[in-house]
Amino acid sequence: MTIFTDIKAILLGLWTTWKHMLRRPVTIQYPEEKRQPSPRYRARIVLTRDPDGGERCVACYLCSAACPVDCISMQSGERENGRRFAVWFRINFSRCIFCGLCAEACPTLAIQMTPDYEICKRDIMDLLYEKEDLLIDGCGKDESYNFYQHAGIGVAQRRGEGAEEKAPVDVRGLVP
Amino acid sequence: MTPDLILIAVTAAKIAIVLFAILTLAAYLVFAERRVLGWIQDRKGPNRVGPFGLLQPLADLIKLLTKEDFRPPAGDKWLFYLAPAMAAIPAIMTFAIIPFGAPVTLFGTEIAMQVIDLNVGLLLFMALSSIAVYGVALGGWASNSKYALLGSIRGLAQLISYELSMGLSLVPIIMLARSLKLSEIVNAQSGCWFIVYQPLAFLIFLISILAECKRIPFDLPEAEGELVAGFHTEYSGMRFGLFFVGEYINIIVLGGLATTFFLGGWHGPVLPPVVWFTMKTLSFAFFFIWLRGTAPRLRYDQLMQLGWKVLTPLALVNILVTAWWLVLKG
Amino acid sequence: MPKLIIDDITVEVAEGVTVLEAAQSVDIPIPHFCWHPALGKAGACRVCAVKLLDGPIKGIQMSCMLPAQDGMVVSTVDPEAVAMRQQVIEWLMINHPHDCPVCDEGGQCQLQDYTIACGHGLRRYDGKKRTHLNQDLGPNIEHEMNRCIQCYRCARFYQEFAGGTDFGVMGSASRVYFGRFEDGELQSPFSGNLVDICPTGVFTDKTARFRARYWDFDMAPSICPECSLGCNTTPVARYRELLKISARHNDAVNGWFICDRGRFADKKVNSFDRPRVPLVNGSSSGWGDAVDAVAKKAAEFAPGSIAVVASSRLANEGAALLPDLARALSGAKLCFFSNEVICRASITAASQITPHMAASLDDVASADCIVIYECDLRQEAPMMLLAVRQAWRKGAPVFLVGKGAPLEQAAAVSVEAVDLDIIVEAPIGIFDRPVIIFSTMRSSAAEIKNLMAAEAKFAPLFDGPNGMGMAKLAAANSTISLESAVKSGLIKGIITIECVIADELRGEIPIIAALDWQMNSSVKNAGVFLPTTAWVEMNGTFVNNEGRAQQFKKVMAPGIPVSATLESGHPPRIHSLDVPGGEPKPAWEVITEIMKRL
Repeated sequence: MTIFTDIKAILLGLWTTWKHMLRRPVTIQYPEEKRQPSPRYRARIVLTRDPDGGERCVACYLCSAACPVDCISMQSGERENGRRFAVWFRINFSRCIFCGLCAEACPTLAIQMTPDYEICKRDIMDLLYEKEDLLIDGCGKDESYNFYQHAGIGVAQRRGEGAEEKAPVDVRGLVP
Repeated sequence: MTPDLILIAVTAAKIAIVLFAILTLAAYLVFAERRVLGWIQDRKGPNRVGPFGLLQPLADLIKLLTKEDFRPPAGDKWLFYLAPAMAAIPAIMTFAIIPFGAPVTLFGTEIAMQVIDLNVGLLLFMALSSIAVYGVALGGWASNSKYALLGSIRGLAQLISYELSMGLSLVPIIMLARSLKLSEIVNAQSGCWFIVYQPLAFLIFLISILAECKRIPFDLPEAEGELVAGFHTEYSGMRFGLFFVGEYINIIVLGGLATTFFLGGWHGPVLPPVVWFTMKTLSFAFFFIWLRGTAPRLRYDQLMQLGWKVLTPLALVNILVTAWWLVLKG
Repeated sequence: MPKLIIDDITVEVAEGVTVLEAAQSVDIPIPHFCWHPALGKAGACRVCAVKLLDGPIKGIQMSCMLPAQDGMVVSTVDPEAVAMRQQVIEWLMINHPHDCPVCDEGGQCQLQDYTIACGHGLRRYDGKKRTHLNQDLGPNIEHEMNRCIQCYRCARFYQEFAGGTDFGVMGSASRVYFGRFEDGELQSPFSGNLVDICPTGVFTDKTARFRARYWDFDMAPSICPECSLGCNTTPVARYRELLKISARHNDAVNGWFICDRGRFADKKVNSFDRPRVPLVNGSSSGWGDAVDAVAKKAAEFAPGSIAVVASSRLANEGAALLPDLARALSGAKLCFFSNEVICRASITAASQITPHMAASLDDVASADCIVIYECDLRQEAPMMLLAVRQAWRKGAPVFLVGKGAPLEQAAAVSVEAVDLDIIVEAPIGIFDRPVIIFSTMRSSAAEIKNLMAAEAKFAPLFDGPNGMGMAKLAAANSTISLESAVKSGLIKGIITIECVIADELRGEIPIIAALDWQMNSSVKNAGVFLPTTAWVEMNGTFVNNEGRAQQFKKVMAPGIPVSATLESGHPPRIHSLDVPGGEPKPAWEVITEIMKRL
């Protein structure tokens, strides 16, 4: 009879909740207890440097293009040695949703996400991080990559001396 | 002092004590509910305000009092203001007839542990619980909101339907106790609680009072998932708080009545009668909370089916069986 | 007319049309690098491969090299053709430096698009890449040879289309190199088109180097304001700053190209000294007060003693309101031209010419005889010179008439021209489609009248982007030149609308008000200055030299460039709805405001 299964179901439910009542809560008491997020956790964004200490960011605008909430803005420029760099670079953390698409889009591994999730300010303008706030002294998650050694435009080294390059050809050579 | 003055003074003192006790209890019931629900859901519940979060009700009170008191401009102003009181006051008034302890003798006078021992106590309870319907009805109507109106219509239908089965389930009790006086109903159980004679009536009464105080699984008038907050959607601040408090007072009152009718009231060994009564009442409250953490909400047709096609006929049959048994017994 | 089937779609095209164009006519895209609508085919890149399933020819073919023939059944999606294109892209990419993040072409790069479209996603070749050294090609064009895919578009444009001689292809085999024989500025007045025509990032605009990406550009269809030809352009702005100007395709006017003057002109719009707020007696003021001041000052002058002066920089919308403004100023003199001779010449040319007689740039390019009468096209209308070269390439003789038409202009596009002293020496009568090019700034009204009696089409050149429009309006309203107005001695005050007046012409006459967006002597001397928007900051119309009214759209909102407002290295940390320097309004709006107060 259905009445018995119904009653059984209700009692079973009550029994289940009773058991949970006696269980240890899973709550983490946040300000006192803190969780250590994994290194791949997506929180505060940083700009890293290459192993030689140069800024990795070449201000290619891919992160700002990938950003679904338009929280990244920048202006690219050129240094005397031909290196492309961000004249200014701004991330509005009051708008950032920490989706990680910028870090995924970055071709030079400059923009990376860190596990520092405690971003909270009294003044919302303090959440506007400028380049000097974002730039760290270190390579972040990749210790070896240097974009300019692989891109053949002759900034980190002379033309033709990059990682996968032959020496520049002699245009006037007649050898077949 | 004349006996009249003494009577007035004593009654006033009892009213004060009862008011204080049930208001405090209601406030802490809210807190208890949040903690117990927390445990059921493997959480901790509110534990920030004061030791173990014990000052949480006070914080809630301050919050509710300082919130904006908003009234829908197109609603009925006076009905809107009246409705929360209509929900809370009948619930408080019902407690006047509940005996919460054995009579004590003080300075040679016997004082009943009951604000007033009416000889039609049970009928008064039925009457007051009918009046409680108005809080829901007027609140929903005066809000001039479709959600509130839908919630109050549901509430009306639900309360009227379950009042019937609740009343019918109490008839065997009257037959057993041969009185409508609650003190005599309690005294009639000094030997054996009525739950033993009337398990079916107890079950029907329990389900009916669940529906009466609009608790899960019978919270259709509020139904957050469908009606935002049902009949009190448009209420804010302390007016909302009054609806809220009314609901919890109702839990205590109905728990107390169930204790009185079926669990022998304040009767019990060793411990003082007031303690027994409180323990029994609170165990009902705990059961309500526990059930809220367990059961899903009924569908409207299921609610009506249960009320009219199951509980009411069962209660009628129960009356007949009880009558037959009483006649046989002589 | 050949009828062929491409991807199950039947296409009928004219004789001689290639399969690639036939496919494009029914919106079937076929990747291509070397083929260009203006340059035709070269068969160099091999990426437009299609498979012919049936018909006179079968198998894999280069669609750009193959004229459409009757009965062809073409598949662009055949696995064999797809595999071919994928492998071609793969080897085109073998030596590519993979420097897209630091390449200005990234985002608008045909090589990027087709690499992805052809399905080359993973690099398999791990050998070393060939590298080149770059050349310094002057202040306008950046050279990055590593990115080259040898499509030959640049050399074909520069040498064949534009007649340049100092740039070409060198080297052999994998050393093929596109550049000059030695470092130095490109000599052709059309060199900037290398930026547009290169399908990848070998040539990029140095003036806007590393400034923005295609997807962030503020762009709108616009018209070049540098001369009266009205070439179609697409100005590019970002962060309230005009970055660069690129050519916009319009077959009737400029085709696919524009001249270097239009492309690399000074970006006065961004200029630091550009006046951006209304000024009353040199101190900044609100719009309302400034316009009130104009009305108040104008009221002090006797009727007919004010001259309203405009120049052909002014868009038609503003110019058309000027007769009303003059009337509202109780009979002010209306001057659309400052110089008396140019005024008469312009009005004569504009009123004599009919739509039937006017030669567009396309008409010039398809003419069978060209007469350049007393003008130097390098100065007055460079794109006309490119059109003349196209006509010459098809066999039309080019006659340069008079001392004002130097032979050097023909040499600039490698055209062999005949130098004549007088117009009658040119045998115009024996040609079917002769075009006579003359300038209203060099020829008098009488000369023009005389010239226009000939059986030919005419391409008059005016002194500004809206020269024809101003001349037409001048003819339709009672206007005189400022020169004659001043000579009459009646003028006691001047209102200038986007116009510079020579100090010697003005003499002691005060400038009551000046409306402009550039800093110049009129603005400096004006009692009241009202800032107007530049052409990229408004919608408007210019009427070009042949009488073609062309709209230009608003590219950017007026405002001080963000790069000029940096505080400690980054943009100001404030939020506000007001744009700094956003006061300028279109001239027509300002004129309307003034009229309301009169």
